[in-house]
Amino acid sequence: MAPSATNTNWSVQYDTLRRENLFRNPPKDHTAYPSLAESIRPHVDSFNALFEDSKILAAGLKDIGIKTFLDGEPETPEQKKVRMAEGLRAPKRNRLNVRVKEVFLDKPQLPPTNKYSTTNREIYPSECRERHSTYRAKLRARLEFQVNNGDWMESMRELGNVPVMVRTNRCHLQNATPEELVRHKEESEELGGYFIVNGNEKLIRMLIVGKRNYPMSIIRGSFVKRGHTYTKFGVQIRSVRPDQTSQTNVLHYLSDGNVTFRFSWRKNEFLVPVMMILKALVETNDREIFEALVGAANSKGMKNTFVTDRVELLLRTYQAYGKHSKSDCRAHLGKCFRPVMGVSQDVPDEEVGTEFLRRIVLPHLGNYNVTETQDYDKFKMIIFMIRKLYSLVAGDSAPDNPDAVSNQEVLLGGFLYGMILKERIEEWLRSLGPIARDWSMRNSNAKFTDTAFERDFLSKIVRRSNENIGQALEYFLSTGNLVSPTGLDLQQTSGYTVMAEKINFYRFISHFRMIHRGSFFAQLKTTTVRKLLPESWGFLCPVHTPDGSPCGLLNHLAHKCLIATDNLDVSSLPRTLVQLGVKGESSVATEDSVTVQLDGRIVGFCSPEQARKIHDTLRYWKVSGKNNVPLGLEIGYIPNSNGGQYPGIYMFSQSARMYRPVKYLALDKTDFVGPFEQPYMEIACLESDLIAGLSTHIEFTPTNILSIVANMTPFSDYNQSPRNMYQCQMSKQTMGTPGTSIAHRTDNKLYRLQTGQTPVVRTPLYNAYGLDNFPNGMNAIVAIISYTGYDMDDAMIINKSSHERGFGHGTIYKTKVHSLAEKDRRKSRREVKKLFGFAPGDEVKAEVRNFIDDDGLPHVGIRVQEGDKIAAFHDVRYDAASDSYVNVDGITHFLKYKDAEAGYIESIRIMGNENGAEPMQSISVKYRIPRKPIIGDKFSSRHGQKGVCSQLWPAGDMPFSESGMQPDLIINPHAFPSRMTIAQMIESMAGKAGALHGHPQDCTPFQFSEENTATDYFGHQLKKAGYNYYGNEPLYSGITGREFAADIYMGVVYYQRLRHMVNDKFQVRTTGPVNALTGQPVKGRAKGGGIRVGEMERDSLIAHGAAFLLQDRLMNCSDSQLTWICRCCGSFISTQVAVSGSGSSRSRNTINPGALAAAAKAAPNQQAPGGASSAGGALGGVNGIVRCRRCARQATFTDSRAEAWEDGDGLRYVGGDDVTIVAVPGVLRFLDVELAAMGIRMKFKVDN
Amino acid sequence: MSREAYQVPSSVSGNQNAFSNDTGYGAMAIDSPSVVYLCGECSARVPVKKGDPIRCKDCGHRVLYKERTKRMVQFEAR
Repeated sequence: MAPSATNTNWSVQYDTLRRENLFRNPPKDHTAYPSLAESIRPHVDSFNALFEDSKILAAGLKDIGIKTFLDGEPETPEQKKVRMAEGLRAPKRNRLNVRVKEVFLDKPQLPPTNKYSTTNREIYPSECRERHSTYRAKLRARLEFQVNNGDWMESMRELGNVPVMVRTNRCHLQNATPEELVRHKEESEELGGYFIVNGNEKLIRMLIVGKRNYPMSIIRGSFVKRGHTYTKFGVQIRSVRPDQTSQTNVLHYLSDGNVTFRFSWRKNEFLVPVMMILKALVETNDREIFEALVGAANSKGMKNTFVTDRVELLLRTYQAYGKHSKSDCRAHLGKCFRPVMGVSQDVPDEEVGTEFLRRIVLPHLGNYNVTETQDYDKFKMIIFMIRKLYSLVAGDSAPDNPDAVSNQEVLLGGFLYGMILKERIEEWLRSLGPIARDWSMRNSNAKFTDTAFERDFLSKIVRRSNENIGQALEYFLSTGNLVSPTGLDLQQTSGYTVMAEKINFYRFISHFRMIHRGSFFAQLKTTTVRKLLPESWGFLCPVHTPDGSPCGLLNHLAHKCLIATDNLDVSSLPRTLVQLGVKGESSVATEDSVTVQLDGRIVGFCSPEQARKIHDTLRYWKVSGKNNVPLGLEIGYIPNSNGGQYPGIYMFSQSARMYRPVKYLALDKTDFVGPFEQPYMEIACLESDLIAGLSTHIEFTPTNILSIVANMTPFSDYNQSPRNMYQCQMSKQTMGTPGTSIAHRTDNKLYRLQTGQTPVVRTPLYNAYGLDNFPNGMNAIVAIISYTGYDMDDAMIINKSSHERGFGHGTIYKTKVHSLAEKDRRKSRREVKKLFGFAPGDEVKAEVRNFIDDDGLPHVGIRVQEGDKIAAFHDVRYDAASDSYVNVDGITHFLKYKDAEAGYIESIRIMGNENGAEPMQSISVKYRIPRKPIIGDKFSSRHGQKGVCSQLWPAGDMPFSESGMQPDLIINPHAFPSRMTIAQMIESMAGKAGALHGHPQDCTPFQFSEENTATDYFGHQLKKAGYNYYGNEPLYSGITGREFAADIYMGVVYYQRLRHMVNDKFQVRTTGPVNALTGQPVKGRAKGGGIRVGEMERDSLIAHGAAFLLQDRLMNCSDSQLTWICRCCGSFISTQVAVSGSGSSRSRNTINPGALAAAAKAAPNQQAPGGASSAGGALGGVNGIVRCRRCARQATFTDSRAEAWEDGDGLRYVGGDDVTIVAVPGVLRFLDVELAAMGIRMKFKVDN
Repeated sequence: MSREAYQVPSSVSGNQNAFSNDTGYGAMAIDSPSVVYLCGECSARVPVKKGDPIRCKDCGHRVLYKERTKRMVQFEAR
């Protein structure tokens, strides 16, 4: 009996049995939640594209091309002069050519050094998580080299281990079914799309970049700073090579009408006159350029004197260079850019110029083996850009907004990964040159043609280079820092990767739908980049963005938004366009001819009327699938307007575009629209928005504009909009269910809700995305009433009996790695110096054995508290004779449990080396910390209504309804008026009705209207169940038993427990650790520090007259100390202890009784039998005599012995006895000392 | 080569057969009892002594789980 295919259609129903079955028997064919898998496709597909059909990396290798190095020394100008004088030819230098022909990435496997695993040598992601290692595979490259024109020789090089994205074509689990995934310790709905680096799940987040291959008009004030006569006008194009790396070309308008071409190459900016590039690209003349720019002699464009004047100037100023022919210009460019192009010295200038045009000038139109047609395409494109620039300057067209989604695309993780990989390979090839030269020098200027060279090349030259590309990529993924000599045409150097935190599933999935604008924009003072623009409609979720500093910069994709990861086949499109009437001639007048472009290549021109027809025809063909117009094609038709966007038809077929489905009305079929075309299309949102004769498309449903998480807010159309944003934030901080494979996970910290439920009120999407596998909260009976006063200010009261039944009960899992190996990575061979276990012969206390087993590891399942010993180890030394580890000292050391909170040992993993030959060196212990809800824990409904539990109220004192029902939760009615979360009230009603009737409630937004209200719909359901139509009911006080004067609104609301818990936050101290220098309390909860009583707090205490409180905070609990001061000179630092010796006990009592009395008073806690003298002794040394050295004078023999005192050097003094003890802040003395060091004296006036 | 025929090259092997003739441990072997762990891949019971390499004797897997303690674990329920 072949089981039928797994059903993938979901409704709003509970489907309890169906889900149960899916859990018990994970499907053996495919996942039951395809839309969930769809949501992370951009990540997986972009990684797949590197090595699969589209072969992005192969294209990158072609762009790198052949690197050539010469032997011998370059000749100096003097040598050349001498040689020329002698009429000799240049000395022949040998060429070494190297290239990488192919790159292979294997699947993660055990290294060959492991000889123990024979059955299965594959490494699965779960092993890497458990071993806290990296999921990586071997990268190999076929390196080819050739000397002069000899035969190519090849060698396979191993380039280290490269991290591999989970569930891609380099992962063992690419096509794994849920059943196989579960077998490999994954989630049944494991999605992949992330890397595992050192046991952490890391992903490269998507980044917004400018739309590729589209020349954008830009007005930017900073352009003026480029140089003299530069203006704010520019046209910029982000030209993307087939390998997905990009090169930005900018045309700048100069105030005299001239145009320069700017590009950035290896982090340096260069400027070239645009005419030189035009003339270098094709063999042309001034007339041709003039007509290409302005139009034919009889065209309308000739009347545009603004353009003709400037073109004339453009041509005239270029005369100064005197470079006319194509080869002249190329040679000139080559001569100028030879130092930065990295070509060998024997290449003629003209070829360097060609290389320059190939790699830098509009590389999307021809990147390798550039043909003349491709050069002509580049020529035409630059001409077009100049036209657009002049049109912008003249005010005929508006600038494009670089912050609008219509001019943006997405930099996908996989592509960025490929870009780095390509760049690393290129750098590696470049690095071979200096090493080869070094080899030549070491071997007494050996030539590349020597036989020794062929022998040494691989073993001495390639071997010496840094072939470990894997390490560079691992560094990139673990830190997110981009180390790059070219900068990759990106604006930031760090923050590319984020940890895919599995706090709960909402947060996890949001990471993959997240799009960042770039950290460069985070520092920008203007907020324009953060604005929500109408262009984002349907592509970026308007609700799902955090508030605070990343607001508007960190967006999330709408749940139906797709991202293209491969190029469409548009090879037949140009022919189709020509058949539709697109022709080659053009004019600068847009009312005559507008451009038709495909992926940044000018196909031709047509009249504006034709353009509209062409667009409509193509659109029809595209949806109907006729004439090979692909459905995914973006046909951006920009109509002519009065000073609007520059008109034309711009078609895009390449990857990294966003697109989304809408319904095409003419055929009643799905059409895909992109952000570029959308602003100019007539897409109705609702049926009622349709305009006859105008609307061409309609949204499938208005909720398509929301992200996955935003879609989970019930009736979000009834909420004030910021509340929906807060909910998106809070659902991601919920203590929910991160997954079902918790037993196999080793995250540093994992939150788990023990009593998760499916919400009664949910949308069909909740099931479609399979979120019931990851419950995020509990249905709670919520009464909205002001009761007991403990629900003030967003506090909430939890029914103690509900709490005891497990409401909101949660657990935290913490995994700690205890490693014996030294963290020193410099040593290549790690030596075993310590082993787990008790040292032989050492006596072990029985109480220790309660915690630690025979093997030196703790018992699994026991409870551990702070300071408990959890592992034993001892020092060993390898004894080669017996091939074992021997302990000599017989001392057992212990590892301790350091957390303040008691936990249970959930599991212990012993992590072996991947070679399978190392003894136990590190263990990974998972602790379970139960966290039942306590006062101070945070909860929230799904409407941005968060509150803190203020009491666990005994059930007996809770209000009850007529049927005897009690609320689980009480919240205050004041939570509503100002926040206007009407949806929570509707949810309450809907949940109540749903619970009573036993069916789930569909809470999709935009389904109710003024005519058909939600209250009426759910009110009738309540009425049917015998409840009040409005959802409120009479309640009786639990304390007095009397009915409340008002009926109380009570219903079922889904509540989330947030991960912010008092146990992680409380901070209390009276005394504790202090700063060593100042003696003041340290800060920070982790260190047991205090909370600062700052200036404002101080002000408030002064205002209240709470002087003793202030004294306590600022002195007694801080750095108060008793110190000696001289009343006479007012100095701390001149007081000193007089050494005993000559001083008698008699003198002590006679000399300064006042000071000692003061000291006794100041330090009453130091009361001792000695009375006053002992208090002085505490601060004043052995015999308690402190004197001011400054006020003393040296004793003469006339002075009485009784009055003299002696310092440490044995010098005798008299006087300086007017010293006393004062209590001062410790830092005051510190300040005094510091000032004294600078020669500044502080003088204190001591009264009394 | 079948798994049985394969000879583990190192003398410090995880193979239990090596127990009897393994005299190299000396004093250490006396007070270092072997503790049984569970293989993370095939759930086999793997005895490991102090200093033994960490791998499953059957499948060569490199993660071993410690078994839950056999002693009575009792907590005060609160």
